[in-house]
Amino acid sequence: MTETTVDATGSSPLLRAFAYAAVLAVSFVMLYPLLWMVSSSFKPENEIFSTTSLIPETFTTDAYRRGWNGLSVSFGWMFLNSTVIALLAVVGNLVSCSMAAYAFTRLQFKGRSFWFALMLGTMMLPQHAVLIPQYLMFLNFGWVNTILPLVVPKFLAIDAFFIFLMIQFFRGIPRDLDEAAVMDGAGPLRIFFKIILPLSTPVLATAAVFSFIWTWDDFFAPLIYLNDIEKYTAQLGLRTFVDATAQSDWGALLAMSTLTILPIFILFVVFQRLLIEGIATTGMKR
Amino acid sequence: MLVDDVPHRRVHRWTHLRQHLAGYGFLSPWLLGFFVLTLGPAASSLYLSLTDYGLMSAPRWVGADNYMQIATSDPRFRAAMNVTFTYVLLSVPLKLVFALAVAILLNRGLRGLNWFRAIFYLPSLIGGSVAIAVLWRQVFAGDGILNQVLMALFSYEGPSWIANPSTSIYTLIALAVWQFGSSMIIFLAGLRQIPQDMYEAASIDGAGRSRQFFKITLPLLTPVIFFNAVILTIDAFKAFTPAFVISDGTGGPIDSTLFYTLYLYQEAFTNFRFGYASALAWVLVAIIAAFTALSFLSAKYWVHYDD
Amino acid sequence: MTSLALTGIKKSYGAIDIIHGVDLAIEPGEFVVFVGPSGCGKSTLLRMIAGLEPITGGELRIAGARMNEVSAAERGIAMVFQSYALYPHMSVYKNMSFGLETARMPKAEIDLRVRKAAEILQITKLLDRKPKQLSGGQRQRVAIGRAIVRDPQVFLFDEPLSNLDAELRVQTRVEIAKLHADIGATMIYVTHDQVEAMTLADRIVVLNGGRIEQAGTPLEIYNTPANRFVAGFIGSPKMNFLNVSVDGRAGEAVTLDLAGTKLAVRGIDARPEGLCLGVRPEHLDVGSDRGTPLGAMIATHVEQLGGQTIVYGSLKDRQPIVATLNGQKSVRAGEELRLTADLAQCHVFDAGGRRVAVQSA
Repeated sequence: MTETTVDATGSSPLLRAFAYAAVLAVSFVMLYPLLWMVSSSFKPENEIFSTTSLIPETFTTDAYRRGWNGLSVSFGWMFLNSTVIALLAVVGNLVSCSMAAYAFTRLQFKGRSFWFALMLGTMMLPQHAVLIPQYLMFLNFGWVNTILPLVVPKFLAIDAFFIFLMIQFFRGIPRDLDEAAVMDGAGPLRIFFKIILPLSTPVLATAAVFSFIWTWDDFFAPLIYLNDIEKYTAQLGLRTFVDATAQSDWGALLAMSTLTILPIFILFVVFQRLLIEGIATTGMKR
Repeated sequence: MLVDDVPHRRVHRWTHLRQHLAGYGFLSPWLLGFFVLTLGPAASSLYLSLTDYGLMSAPRWVGADNYMQIATSDPRFRAAMNVTFTYVLLSVPLKLVFALAVAILLNRGLRGLNWFRAIFYLPSLIGGSVAIAVLWRQVFAGDGILNQVLMALFSYEGPSWIANPSTSIYTLIALAVWQFGSSMIIFLAGLRQIPQDMYEAASIDGAGRSRQFFKITLPLLTPVIFFNAVILTIDAFKAFTPAFVISDGTGGPIDSTLFYTLYLYQEAFTNFRFGYASALAWVLVAIIAAFTALSFLSAKYWVHYDD
Repeated sequence: MTSLALTGIKKSYGAIDIIHGVDLAIEPGEFVVFVGPSGCGKSTLLRMIAGLEPITGGELRIAGARMNEVSAAERGIAMVFQSYALYPHMSVYKNMSFGLETARMPKAEIDLRVRKAAEILQITKLLDRKPKQLSGGQRQRVAIGRAIVRDPQVFLFDEPLSNLDAELRVQTRVEIAKLHADIGATMIYVTHDQVEAMTLADRIVVLNGGRIEQAGTPLEIYNTPANRFVAGFIGSPKMNFLNVSVDGRAGEAVTLDLAGTKLAVRGIDARPEGLCLGVRPEHLDVGSDRGTPLGAMIATHVEQLGGQTIVYGSLKDRQPIVATLNGQKSVRAGEELRLTADLAQCHVFDAGGRRVAVQSA
């Protein structure tokens, strides 16, 4: 049994049918554009706008072939860029945020509550306030047009949301376990690696999946920092493709759009539960 | 006794020191990030906002000139404020109402709850990507699917919603509302927190359906509504990608989708007016801070907290 | 040589003092139980001995060596937690070997120790399981096993039975006593349950408000409680405390007035105001010829436990009193009972709650 909702008021069958119809209608309207996008990407160009049907009359993968090589650099290359950046971001976030969360929840040190308050404060501060100096700094470092500005900040726990998420989880791990480990002679490092991290796989997985998806989806940072098309992420590539095709090849554009969403969709299908629980427990954005 | 007390005290201090060292050791990545990526840049952008600074020249101190210009003689700032406030004030309440309504429907104990929950959540997860902005451009284009459907159903020939300055912002609001799923999930979680016996007690007391909704569900849900509203508002002020993609980065037609962040981006990275853009950034920070502060002040009057 | 010595041990959080200077010497192989109401500081004291809480003041010595600054793992102690604190992601074997691995003990030696401890506790068959797959009693054994493998000089138990159901609690209590007899290590055991204290302890330490009220063998605590707090804390139902006044004095002998009944005792000299007479319910007798008459009691409520009859009621001056009678007595509410007691089993407490040694005169 996964559905645990109980009808509070004992609705009548009629109301229930109405609720059903309403929810079904809303989901259809919501999904229609997505389904249309996917189905159109398999239609020949002339069929896309001649019918609203979701089932292609002629099924073709031609649009994918055209789109894949539609820019001077193949989309495959940009997917690889995106994947590398997203995976590095995952590693960076997991390492740095779990360390910070461990310090905040488990270690006693001077100034802990002061830094904790500041950390919460950074969650409130819009990134725009630091954007320009950050850009100028990375420009000075010679990092612009490399993936470093996209990746290095993740290793410095810039996404305080993940610290917060992990703090919530770590707080649920009984302190007795730490104390038992202290009695067993374990120091902070050993407790972190042997007790806290192994017990935190659910939250680490949640943070990893969110990290991947958000980095994959990120448009703003790559837009600012990456100039050469060989370094583009899939998102940047897609947006360049919009300009390049000038909307003359909708099929190819929709095919590439579908492809850029596909990794997220797969992660969504596989980790649906984790994602939804992550949202529900922390009320995180998106 | 006194003699061997001294080394002990040293040991004592050492174990204490080790505690602090461990704490700062684990915190060091964040600390470094805080100083280098947050505090330093924040201070620096505050300073830059008081200068005239482009790519080619060193920052030149101009005092509050940037802020003065923003306040008095910047028509595009006014356009951006207009667009952004329209977007925030329409998209946030609509999204909240949608999310709450669907959450309540789903909470009725419908079969397949997990399916619907997933379907409604999907747009929130992918909504920020370029692909969706591309799709949106198509949906609301002159020959887009919306008009095709309108044609098929009502024989109505719709305009290009994107290209029309008076409707383009609403396509973006629709895109925001389409992503109501994550708020809905938070509402669902909130609804499940309400103890079942409270409804049972209420129905024994003779409270009907609507009375139960207004007297139990809604008041007990106000903290969640408040939380969602604050988060959504902050996010809405920061929206960027859809407007950028839909308007090709121009904020057009005729600045009708010139989101504040888009204007900020243009000033910083197209016109390279770093000083002025910094001032714009701090104005946005101030607006968001003011909005958040107002929400928290208002919370006293309508948010119900358990004692 | 003492196994463990506390001298003027103090604990404070900021300005708030939790432990006010505790002195205690524990002999090797002794089973000492800290008992007291919640918030009395017994767990804090145990955690200070364990090294989980820094000691604010005073000195802790184990086997003669000062331990205040020594880390928990190097004090030669092991602790069994109330929640067991088994590592959920490790097998039973790993749970027991974790501390030894931390100490970088050779693998063969670790294996030997784990298997030996498992044998003692009869959990050899469970070694590959995860804590989730164990019953409450089995988890308890693993927690003890984790302590045994370290071969400590001192075992610490923090309310180890409170998560077990009543039947298992009795069974495990007996096993802990047996374990103590078998391995003969020093054990310190914290509980709020006086039955556990009475049955397990060589010596009970009664704590209250961060101070030791009394330390002594279970029977010393029961027979000669140092003060009203200890007298009231140990024993069930609680000792009756009856207000008495001094009626007359003739040399050594003093006549006490208990609700109109005169009692002649010796040994009370100063401060005769605010005295109270303590009598355990089980030491009261009804309608007996032996013992000293204590006057009449009006029964208001009777509980039949089968083996005992507990009578609730009041004296003539309306002071409440409880009597536990052996066997099944037919007592009805409203009935007037003639109470007697052996004065040697009664206690007199002065206004400050201190026990005054008295003899019958």
